[in-house]
This record gives sequence, C-alpha cells and structure tokens, in this order.
Amino acid sequence: MKKLAYISIPLTLALLAFTSYLALAVAPTERTMGDVQRIFYYHVPSGWVAGLCFFLNFVASAIYLWKRSAASDALAAASAEVGVVFCTVLLITGPLWARPVWGIWWTWDARLTTTLVLWLIYVSYLVLRRFAAGGQTQVLAAAFAIFGFADVPIVYMSIRWFRTQHPSPVMGGGENSGLDPAMLHVFLINLAAFTVLGILFVWLRYKLQMQEQALESAHAQAALKGVSQ
Amino acid sequence: MNPIPFLHAAYIVAWVVYLGYLGRILLRMKRVEEERKDMERGK
Repeated sequence: MKKLAYISIPLTLALLAFTSYLALAVAPTERTMGDVQRIFYYHVPSGWVAGLCFFLNFVASAIYLWKRSAASDALAAASAEVGVVFCTVLLITGPLWARPVWGIWWTWDARLTTTLVLWLIYVSYLVLRRFAAGGQTQVLAAAFAIFGFADVPIVYMSIRWFRTQHPSPVMGGGENSGLDPAMLHVFLINLAAFTVLGILFVWLRYKLQMQEQALESAHAQAALKGVSQ
Repeated sequence: MNPIPFLHAAYIVAWVVYLGYLGRILLRMKRVEEERKDMERGK
C-alpha cells in the first residue's frame, strides 16, 4: 500500500500541476469575462468530484444499512470527508469568480444556496460521526446520509428549474450552451485530473479509517483483557 | 477592477486546501502506525 501511495501521490500532483498550466496558460481567454473565467477549470471539477463523493457516500451508507459491514462504513466516512473538502473549494472559488464578474461576492440564488446547504448537511454528518455517543452512531449516520443526499440532485437541477444569477449549464443546457473546442479539451483534462485526485483522497482516507477502526478495536480488546485479569 | 488577483487567489486557495488535506491524511496515517507499533511493543 505504501509503495502504491509513494507512486500515486507525486504522479497525481504532477498531473494537477500540468492541468493548472493548461488552464492558466494554454486555454484561450474568454471574450466577455477575460482571464478570471479560468477559475472555471478548478471550480467545476471541484463540484463534480464533490457530487461523486456524496454519491459514493450514499451508496456506501445504503450498503452499510443492509450488510452492516465495517468496510462500507469506512468508505461512507471517507467519501463524505473528501466530498466536504472539494465542496469547500467549490464554495471558495465561486465567490472569487463572482466578485469581479457580478460585482458581488454572494447572492442567495437557488444554486448558491442549495450548495451551501449541501456543504452544511455533510459537515453535520461528519460532526455527528465524530461526537455522537453510543453504539448506534454508524446506523444514525448512514440514515442521515441517505436523506442528506436528496440535496445533490436539487443542486444539480437548480440552474435548470429556477432563474438564477448563477450561469446556465455550460454543457447539456440547450442550443446556446457549449464550450469552444480548445476550452473543452482543457476542461476535460482538468475534470479527469480532479477525478484522479478525488479517488486518491478517498482511497487514502478509507485506508486511514480502516486502520483507526482496527486500532480502536485492539485498544478495546486490550482493555477487556485488563479488566478480566 | 483587476480580475487577476481573484484568479490567483482561487488557484492558491485550491492548492492550499488540497495539499493541506493530503498532508493531514498522511500525518494521521503516520500517527496511527506509530500507535499500532507502540501497542505491539507493549504486548
């Protein structure tokens, strides 16, 4: 596992550095927004990976409720935490893009509000896992995750259902949507690089969660032995 | 308004958050490993 980590971490970081170069120096400048539009190449992939992580959390939580396996619980915890990290970057890069383009940092429109609610839901999930006492924490967290996931499709559809300050979908948004082919290539490479980064984070975090669970049970067994002696 | 500082800030924030998170996971892994070794030594 260590060997794989030593190879995959520098490779992923090199890939990200390369995609940053593509986004900042190779992609053409957008006509109306100018250079600040290049935030798009980090903003959208961060949202994509956050959505994937929350979906993984939903699936792992459903499997946990069904099978009660420690591995699915660890995967649910790992994917939720990684999803929150990507969602945090999404929520920071959004206002940094909005300020020079809209003239405001934030507005309570449907996309922005539902995304903030999504972030709060998964932060609450992590807080619940961290501080809830008793043997039913994992079951409670899994049930919470299944209901919490309902916000993900609402976030995705919000710019289709409502008139928002946030731009309409760039892809799959009707006749006037779409990207210049040169921008599309850079965007897809960034999307792939961020997906690789997300997979790396979930894998490492999952391994950590399993190690922590094993250590906790070893401590509990040692304590029981001490009591019985 | 000059948009370039906003662009740079967005990229710096993203790199800091992602590298910081990676560092945090690796540090926690190291601590768990050390704790596991300590426990084995104590047996």
